[in-house]
Amino acid sequence: MSSSRTRRPPRASRRGSAQFRLRIGFLMIAMVLSLFAARLVQLQGVDAKSYAAQAMAHSLVTVVLPAERGDILDRNGKPLAESVDGLMIVADPQQTRDKAPEIATFLARRLGLDYFDTLARLRQISCGTGDECRFQYLARRIPAAVATRVVDRAEKLGFEGLDTRRDPARDYPAHDIGANVVGFLGTPDPRKGVRPLAGFERSFDNRLAGTDGTSSYQVGKGVRIPLADSTLTKPVDGEDLHTTLDLDLDWYTARVLRQTVEDARAASGVAVVMDSRTGEILALADYPTYDASDPQDASKEDLGSRALSDIYEPGSVEKVLTVASLMDAGLVTPRTKILVPGELTDGQVHPIHDWFPHGDLPLTLAGVIAKSSNIGTVLASRKMPPRELVRYLRGFGLGDQKTDLGLAGESPGIIPSGPALTPQTKDRITFGQSLSVNAVQMTAAVNTIANGGVYVSPSLVEGSATTNRGEQVGTDHTVERRVVSKKAAHDTMLMMERVLDPEAGVAPGAAVPGYRVAGKTGTAQRVSSDCQCYDGSTTVSFAGFAPADNPRFTVYVVVQDPGISGAGGGSVGGPAFSKIMSFALNRYGIAPTGTKPSTLPVEWAR
Amino acid sequence: MSSAAPAPESRQPVAGAARTRMSRMAESAVARARLSVVPRRRTPTSRVPFLALVTAILVAGVVGLLLFNTSMQQASFRASSLEDRAAALTAQEEGLSLKLERLRDPQRVAERAQALGMVLPTTWCILELTKQSPTCTAPAATAGSPLRLEELPPVKPASLDPKPVVKHTSRDTDRTSPNRTHRQGRNGHQDDSTGHRDDGGRRVTR
Repeated sequence: MSSSRTRRPPRASRRGSAQFRLRIGFLMIAMVLSLFAARLVQLQGVDAKSYAAQAMAHSLVTVVLPAERGDILDRNGKPLAESVDGLMIVADPQQTRDKAPEIATFLARRLGLDYFDTLARLRQISCGTGDECRFQYLARRIPAAVATRVVDRAEKLGFEGLDTRRDPARDYPAHDIGANVVGFLGTPDPRKGVRPLAGFERSFDNRLAGTDGTSSYQVGKGVRIPLADSTLTKPVDGEDLHTTLDLDLDWYTARVLRQTVEDARAASGVAVVMDSRTGEILALADYPTYDASDPQDASKEDLGSRALSDIYEPGSVEKVLTVASLMDAGLVTPRTKILVPGELTDGQVHPIHDWFPHGDLPLTLAGVIAKSSNIGTVLASRKMPPRELVRYLRGFGLGDQKTDLGLAGESPGIIPSGPALTPQTKDRITFGQSLSVNAVQMTAAVNTIANGGVYVSPSLVEGSATTNRGEQVGTDHTVERRVVSKKAAHDTMLMMERVLDPEAGVAPGAAVPGYRVAGKTGTAQRVSSDCQCYDGSTTVSFAGFAPADNPRFTVYVVVQDPGISGAGGGSVGGPAFSKIMSFALNRYGIAPTGTKPSTLPVEWAR
Repeated sequence: MSSAAPAPESRQPVAGAARTRMSRMAESAVARARLSVVPRRRTPTSRVPFLALVTAILVAGVVGLLLFNTSMQQASFRASSLEDRAAALTAQEEGLSLKLERLRDPQRVAERAQALGMVLPTTWCILELTKQSPTCTAPAATAGSPLRLEELPPVKPASLDPKPVVKHTSRDTDRTSPNRTHRQGRNGHQDDSTGHRDDGGRRVTR
């Protein structure tokens, strides 16, 4: 007993009683646990959100899902403008420097890049920021399939430092065809993105662009974590825009127009092909024009459409509108006899002449049109008051009425009104001077004769589409109104047929063999933009439709300021009209009507 | 009602009634004494099936979760690889349709056709199903010249397009500069031929 008692005290002093040790132990555990608890409260209660956000930021990836821009298509669904999912090829010069010649050779051969330029980029040391260069563009807007293949091949060959980035591109497969209507996109702005600069690309941007979407999800080791938080806002792709243009016909029209303008050494030209019944514009060509896929080199005035932005005095083509109005009012018939003097002086500052010198000519109204006599037209319309004539012309869609094709920058023509509309002005208006039009307005006006006296508003967009300004345009919004009676339109057509007669008319070159064609030449004095006066330059044009007794197409060719001597509507515009019209009739399989052309007398015996 | 039909017991003598009550109470006491609590029957069942069931559920749950997760991961890998494939195929389709656009570009078709000597028809016939014979257009007197497909080169102003300057030099001066073709660098090829032919000692410079 005593021995055990003597042994116990030292043990007790070393380790204390069990209870004491337990208490110490519990206390320590409690302290540690309370530290944990405090940290837990701090993490979960105080900083919870910021920590969660940090964790999310570490693994969360947000990707912009770009909406695909809608295509611009022709009437057969062929693309005039389409989006291509392109890639750019970029290089890291630090990695490419050593093998620069090999890589440059490889890229020059595969992508047709310039060897020396590529070599310089692959060896670039400074990018201008002071730091060492790690990024150089090598090629932009390469179709994705090609770019991926080239970079993969480069990797296999052991060339490092090449990479691809997204670089959506807009392709214009038709290049200059329809470029003035379609427009183009500029180099994308880094912040605002797509920059539509002209044509439909600009005026229908809201419709074409669509809305970008976003997708955010969590990623672990490069692979998306399933069932983790993710949000998806789907992109809304842009809507396609269907135009009424026919790519092949537009191409042919553009080439014929170019040849015509070049051969006439003219300043510019416009050609329009319209479906006579629906007012749909099948071809709209401007020259000079530009290549929509390479618009940088084009001069600024070629970017818009001259068919809408250029206003000019239409000249004798307008006579058909005058005589149609006169016949609708019952004032004349095609056989009305007119004695045409060589000069008309009354009231005019400058006496009115015809394009050819003559003495007193006994012409019927049909002859006045066939020979394109200014004086005859003025005399025939003496009985019609100026306001009445202007009312008719407005009915034909001339004057201050936009054609609403959906293109910005249209200048409607001008018809004098109020005190400016003197009897002398009216006399000049009857043969197409002292009023101005744009080419599409004039096409629609002549088309009214083709369409049996009913004006059909022209359209370039199939169906219905809303422009950025909120205007609804398209074939669904076509307006029709009767301007002159069916009889007046028919009689005008018969007189217009005489214009192409080899003996009676002035424009046999506009004929399409086998078809009845009605047309009218125009050679107008042109107001120069430099001096705002008649400077001796002319506007030559030809408007017509075929088959004359059942019209399907109305074609209008205008050439501004031809530089060759003796250029007139018949000699310059006529052959171009004939080519375009016969191509259109052939392409659409329009059979000749097989009826006899008009034989209205052009002269009368005194 | 009680006055009209009194109960028969109420007419019995009181003493007899007390005795019978006593015996009844005794009987019920005896009967009560015979009742006893029936012990709960506890059949000794084995715990093994229950544990096995729980374990099985647990294991199945864990394994199922594992398999599910694995298959999710697999699906995710597969989805991303399929997405890559779809993107590649879309790019390929786009490339092919671009090629098609380029091939059927009217300009290219016309160039090829003209190279083959094809011309636009000057006369054609249209066959209508309602008519017996085709309707033909009259032949044109002459076939027009072919359509010009390329833009004319721009006319340069005279200052940029000078007339060739012809200089007459003697034969000897040319001979004395044998290294001329080498000094001409990249354009040496053209000069080479003129330099060697050298007929009449003419040099044409622009």
